[in-house]
Amino acid sequence: MVVVKVESLEKDYGTVKALRGISFSINEGEIFGLIGPNGAGKSTTLKILATLLTPTGGRAEVFGHDVVKDAPKVRELISYLPEEAGAYKNLTGMEYLEFMARLYSKSPEEALKMVDIGAKLSGLGERLHDKVSTYSKGMTRKLLLARALMVKPKLAILDEPASGLDIVNAYAIRKTIREFARNEGVTFLISSHNMLEVEFLCHRVALIDSGRIIDTGSPKELKERYGAENLEEVFMQAVGKGGDASG
Amino acid sequence: MGDFWIMAKKELKNLFRDKKLIFGLVVVPLILFPVMGRAISVGMEQAQGETRVAIVNFDSGQYGEVLIKTLRMSPNVTVDVVNASSLEEALQRAVAEKQNVLVVIPQDFSSRLEKNEKATVGIYGIFTTVGAGIKESISEGRINAVIEVLSQSIARIKVERLGAENPDAVLQPIATESRSVIKGRIVDVSPSVVSGVMASQSFSIPLIVFLMVMITAQMAAGAMASEKENKTLETLLTLPVPRTKIVGAKIFGTAVMGLVAAIAYMIGMNSYMGSFNFGSSGVTLADLGLKVTPYGMVLFVAAVFLTIVFSLSLAMLLAIFAEDVQSATTVVSAVIMPLAFPAFLLMYTDVSNMPAVFKYLMLATPFTHPIIDFRNLLMGNYLPVLLSVIYLGITAAGALYTTAWLFSTEKVLTAKISWGKRKRG
Repeated sequence: MVVVKVESLEKDYGTVKALRGISFSINEGEIFGLIGPNGAGKSTTLKILATLLTPTGGRAEVFGHDVVKDAPKVRELISYLPEEAGAYKNLTGMEYLEFMARLYSKSPEEALKMVDIGAKLSGLGERLHDKVSTYSKGMTRKLLLARALMVKPKLAILDEPASGLDIVNAYAIRKTIREFARNEGVTFLISSHNMLEVEFLCHRVALIDSGRIIDTGSPKELKERYGAENLEEVFMQAVGKGGDASG
Repeated sequence: MGDFWIMAKKELKNLFRDKKLIFGLVVVPLILFPVMGRAISVGMEQAQGETRVAIVNFDSGQYGEVLIKTLRMSPNVTVDVVNASSLEEALQRAVAEKQNVLVVIPQDFSSRLEKNEKATVGIYGIFTTVGAGIKESISEGRINAVIEVLSQSIARIKVERLGAENPDAVLQPIATESRSVIKGRIVDVSPSVVSGVMASQSFSIPLIVFLMVMITAQMAAGAMASEKENKTLETLLTLPVPRTKIVGAKIFGTAVMGLVAAIAYMIGMNSYMGSFNFGSSGVTLADLGLKVTPYGMVLFVAAVFLTIVFSLSLAMLLAIFAEDVQSATTVVSAVIMPLAFPAFLLMYTDVSNMPAVFKYLMLATPFTHPIIDFRNLLMGNYLPVLLSVIYLGITAAGALYTTAWLFSTEKVLTAKISWGKRKRG
């Protein structure tokens, strides 16, 4: 089943063309990666799918719902983790999870279950009872990821989930995503400029550069197609800068 | 619990746990104002305690002694007689003895009185430091009162000696009886007292409205801008909650906090003002027949509520364009302060006395309405208040709708103005 369908999507910020007609689709249960350099259009694509931005042209659907016309319905199906995100500093980690769970759940029991899952996913233990303002960057990111996943969305949209984190925290975040996808069957759309991260996590990837999708396929297919050892080389060859890759 | 209440509860928790906010809005007015008031009242009490008067008598006649005796018999006055041969010497001694006031009875005091000429007593306030001068002023007042009584007594004796049957009628041939006409009813209270009571009302209502509008507006702007500053806005906007409820919960949260802050300010200000005991006449608005009926009170509460909704919606609308809390509060102050300022003008004037253009400009500003409405309600004019509530309802709904609409578009993420902070590289 197709979960996300993007057709000729365009987005202009004034005179700047952020997206120049991209198309791709994501199947149910897939971890789909959108990879490319900074400013390629990854975050814009994710924000349109998360109903935050309105496309200038083309269309995007989540489970058959148009992200502009049926935005409220789409919001019920997705969970979005922005690249730069924070939590309410005056709440404790636990209170933050409880607040979010209540908004997604239909009963107090369901909310309790969500919080339970969130508490485990965060791995923060007793620190969950401390105020968010006392958390390190890594702890906050873990809390936010736990918040995004505990509601078991039909589609989780994660923008640079491990961006700016040290190796230990980044590894923990990736591990959580992979295990959650395997155990819960949630579909993921992940953006990253970290090719290793994408290779580790994603079933399929789309290479994006200057608002255009250059190629799509599984990491294995792409490496074979370009005769490259890793996705980094694939990307450099795909954008026609292959000669510079070794540098 | 509905989505609205879950959001509202979060807003309240977040606001009430903000130590800086609580300190600035609740603790400061509750502690600072009473402390300031107490400090002033302690000064007043000290001054109003015993008045020490130094007195130098250059008069050899009987009236000089009579004046000293009268002063000695007056309550709260201690008289120190200074022996000096000249005014300069007397002043030097008074300064050395740290006296506040020196009373000088001149050499010709008794003789002038006996010759039916006007005699003069000198009063010198001695200032040794730059202070409020409360002691000196109170001492002068007390001495003047004593001299006035003595002066009248001497006048009465003199007039009697001249053969008048009713000396008081000769001394004060015309008396006045002041009354006021309020709402067509004669009230046995002088116009100056009525004006005093009305002045206290015309001072406090605009001040409270102005404070409430500014406090709640700043908080609403802060609550909205902090979502951007703390990077929580994007997550908030993708939650399965209608955006109207998000805006509504924020307005509710800040309104409750604003109410708590306004109460703290009112208690603080009340304690501060109460410290002065401004020669209260004991006359209240109710004594003058100026009462607000329950129906009037409902209208007044509606007017205040709608004014606050307008103020909060406008503040949030402005905050949508701000990148951070600092920019938001700057923008809100720049826009709302001039709009709320006319409310201050109503402390000193009334719309009915203004030229037509100013009158309609004042009436177009929602923030002036609660003040004008309260005055109309006291006078029993309900129709203008009803019209005002309708006008406020329309402006508040308009501001709320615009904010909710803007909040449902991507402008909430893309609109940017940065004030008070230099743009980063």
